[in-house]
Amino acid sequence: MTSSVLICDDSNMARKQVVRSLPSHWPVEVQTAKNGIEALEVLRNQAVDVLFLDLTMPELDGLGVLQKIKEEGITCSVFVISADVQPAMQAKVLELGATAFLRKPVEGEVLMDELQVHGFL
Amino acid sequence: METFHSTINNQLNTGVLILDLDLNIVFWNRFLEVHANQRASEVVGRSVFEVFKELPRRWFERKVTGVVQLNTPSFCSWEQRHHLFELPHTRPITTDSHFMAQNCTFLPLAPDGVIQHICILVEDATDVCHYQSMLQKTLADLEQANRIDGLTQVYNRKHWEECLSKEFDRARRYQHDLSLIMFDLDHFKKLNDIHGHLCGDMVLIEVAKTIRPLLRSCDFFGRYGGEEFAIILPETNITGAADVAERIRQAIRLNVMEYQGVEISASVSVGVGEFEPRTRRYEDLIGNADAALYEAKSGGRNRTCLFKDSVVCL
Amino acid sequence: MTAFNLNEDQQDCLQELINVAMGQASDQLARYLDTFVHLRVPSIEQVSTTSLSNSLNKEQQSVAVVSQGFLGYEGIRGEALLVYQHKDSDCIGNILGYEPDELSVEEQLIDLSSILTTTFLNVFALQIDNQMSYNAPRLLSSGQDALAVYLQQLSFNCDMALKVKITYQVTDYSFNCDMILLIPESAITNIKAVIDRILADY
Repeated sequence: MTSSVLICDDSNMARKQVVRSLPSHWPVEVQTAKNGIEALEVLRNQAVDVLFLDLTMPELDGLGVLQKIKEEGITCSVFVISADVQPAMQAKVLELGATAFLRKPVEGEVLMDELQVHGFL
Repeated sequence: METFHSTINNQLNTGVLILDLDLNIVFWNRFLEVHANQRASEVVGRSVFEVFKELPRRWFERKVTGVVQLNTPSFCSWEQRHHLFELPHTRPITTDSHFMAQNCTFLPLAPDGVIQHICILVEDATDVCHYQSMLQKTLADLEQANRIDGLTQVYNRKHWEECLSKEFDRARRYQHDLSLIMFDLDHFKKLNDIHGHLCGDMVLIEVAKTIRPLLRSCDFFGRYGGEEFAIILPETNITGAADVAERIRQAIRLNVMEYQGVEISASVSVGVGEFEPRTRRYEDLIGNADAALYEAKSGGRNRTCLFKDSVVCL
Repeated sequence: MTAFNLNEDQQDCLQELINVAMGQASDQLARYLDTFVHLRVPSIEQVSTTSLSNSLNKEQQSVAVVSQGFLGYEGIRGEALLVYQHKDSDCIGNILGYEPDELSVEEQLIDLSSILTTTFLNVFALQIDNQMSYNAPRLLSSGQDALAVYLQQLSFNCDMALKVKITYQVTDYSFNCDMILLIPESAITNIKAVIDRILADY
């Protein structure tokens, strides 16, 4: 079954980096968003299985998106991918309901492990 | 290659000290053997704090922790810390410190990715340190020379006016007293004509010398023009300034000088002005004292006049 | 001046490299200082050295500047300037974990600058398969004139600078400083080549 994936990052390169790191044997349909507002629009209108979410972004940042997902009861697994790798930040996003935290630049193997752990592969 | 390394290591004019993470000495090169006067075999295995008792222990440990934890080099320059290790230097006569000035570099050593040692490079910066301090001294001398009148050794006009400007602002802001004395040597032209310019110079020097002990350390004594001098008296009203002016006038009158066997006496005419709230610019204060000085001159010389609304002569 | 004109993709790539470097540097710093460093997105700006001199002079509020040179492979080299406001310099000793009598304010500034510069550039270099070495950091005299003269001198050697504005906010203390990477024109061309190589991978 094909999974629906949304990648949200303000950097074009970072979005491409995530796309490139997705396991090749994982059947997915990929959409992208440049900031939190765009991401929420997609999430409200269609079912998304996995959201790869950056934290520091203009308009609405990653923490804001997590907050909204919680408030609006959107069901979706969120993998945060961020350059801010301080333990306190990792704890914060997990507390806000994220499924996992991955450090930038994301690596294929690490991503595959996390997807496996959470039952997507 | 191995022999190259050890030869170069021993010829280097830089100290190479390697410590393990417990801060015990693992290696040191010939530079350190010679300067610390201890063979490597005597120090290897011992704590660096035991061999260099002068090291600031807590500082040193914190420094090393940073290098290990952050995996980055760290530096220590003679400009902030003259030396870490008490090593003698090779310029014992020309420098003022007993110990070699040093630039030290702390490097993490992680050949296989895990830091197990710290390398400390010790460079001799004594020459740089010495030249730098000579340069500082020269600059300070130059700045001093820039403020002083070469002949009389009192402030030159430029610096004196800067001082007046500052004192004037201060007096205005805090409504403090401030007075100004200006005085001029009487018949100076005649003195030059009769005895020559060298004699005139001698008199100017003597006058400055005679007056200096009559002033406080907070007063500013300057040469305003050829034979004209000026004194700024902070925190002094016109009554106090008039006393000082009279003492100056009498001291010059009583001081008999000698030039090439000839007795020379001099006198001065003195004008005194005072800061008043309505005085807007320091130039006005100079103008007032100058007007009083003019009165002292035209009223027969060797006298003191005060500017108070109008000029009053003592 | 023209050498650095990055296109959108190149700018994006550089920004991302810097974000990641900044993130990891902050993490290391937070662990070392045993506190949380609040991270803002670093703004990247290209400035000519002449305008840099003007903009720094405008913010003058008595500034302290520490300079440190860096050198990597592939002709990547430059100089990092860390610019502090004087009001911040008092608390830096506390941040670093030294006792007040153990080192002077100057030494604290230099130590902190060296840590900020080297942690950041180490991660940056790692991402582009490079490795940096560093000169000893120097405190440029905190006097305004000295700074102006220094920057003027720089503009002869270096046409463009990359100004990376970093705001470090540490939980218990806060201080702001700008990290300015000055990169000579020849090195700019080399950096562009590296960026293009990375972009070609995607």
